[in-house]
Amino acid sequence: MNFKMETHSIESEPPVIELEGEVDVYTAPQLKQQMINLLESGAKELIVDLTKVDYLDSTALGVLIGGLKRMREREGNMVLVCPSPRILRVFEITGLDKIFEIYHSLEDANESMGKESG
Amino acid sequence: MANNQCSACVDLKFPCRPEYVGVARLAILGVASRMRFSYDDVEDIRLAVGEACTTSVEWAERNGKADTDIMLHSEIGEDSLVIDIFDQAGERKDDGRENESDQEPENIGALLITLLVDEVEVVPHDEGTHVRMVKHARQR
Repeated sequence: MNFKMETHSIESEPPVIELEGEVDVYTAPQLKQQMINLLESGAKELIVDLTKVDYLDSTALGVLIGGLKRMREREGNMVLVCPSPRILRVFEITGLDKIFEIYHSLEDANESMGKESG
Repeated sequence: MANNQCSACVDLKFPCRPEYVGVARLAILGVASRMRFSYDDVEDIRLAVGEACTTSVEWAERNGKADTDIMLHSEIGEDSLVIDIFDQAGERKDDGRENESDQEPENIGALLITLLVDEVEVVPHDEGTHVRMVKHARQR
């Protein structure tokens, strides 16, 4: 299965989950578990980078919605990085582009987080 | 399903489990790519099939039917692609069980299918469900 997930944590910046390949019913549980791990370790902010994702289904959307809900319950936030028009379209046609903060680059996402916490 | 007239048919039978949904997506990608669909239409078909199979897999898990198969039948017409997906995942009967925040995907999946293909029909079939989707090739 074409799927990779890496988590980058740099001090003073929110953790970034970088996804690559296909995020679907088979692979999305790994994303969910990683989000739970970060929440349990006390993270209140999270960036999910979808730059290298070439397929994303409703299961993945459900996991992202769950992550956003849990972050907001803690008065935190989760934002997405998604420069790909094809993946962005899935958010647009489901109306979820109005629920998520979606940025075109990791730099933009980091900057928005900095503004919120600062 | 074998009685339908079509210029060519492609059938695929695969286990009703999460790791095989990608196989169905790849197969339909190959079928749709041979037709007069735009790149976006091919992607729509791939996603719609993925969503339909994912719903089957989720119901199979819920109903203890993960050892069954999904049958994907595609009919390649002159101007349209008809896709039939048959599962044996048991009845799609909501038992009211809460599933935390991941309850939404099924609704999102159904919404996506409706938006991505031109026609969709979902009916009970034997020990499971039959989903029929039709995508018409547009004049370009």
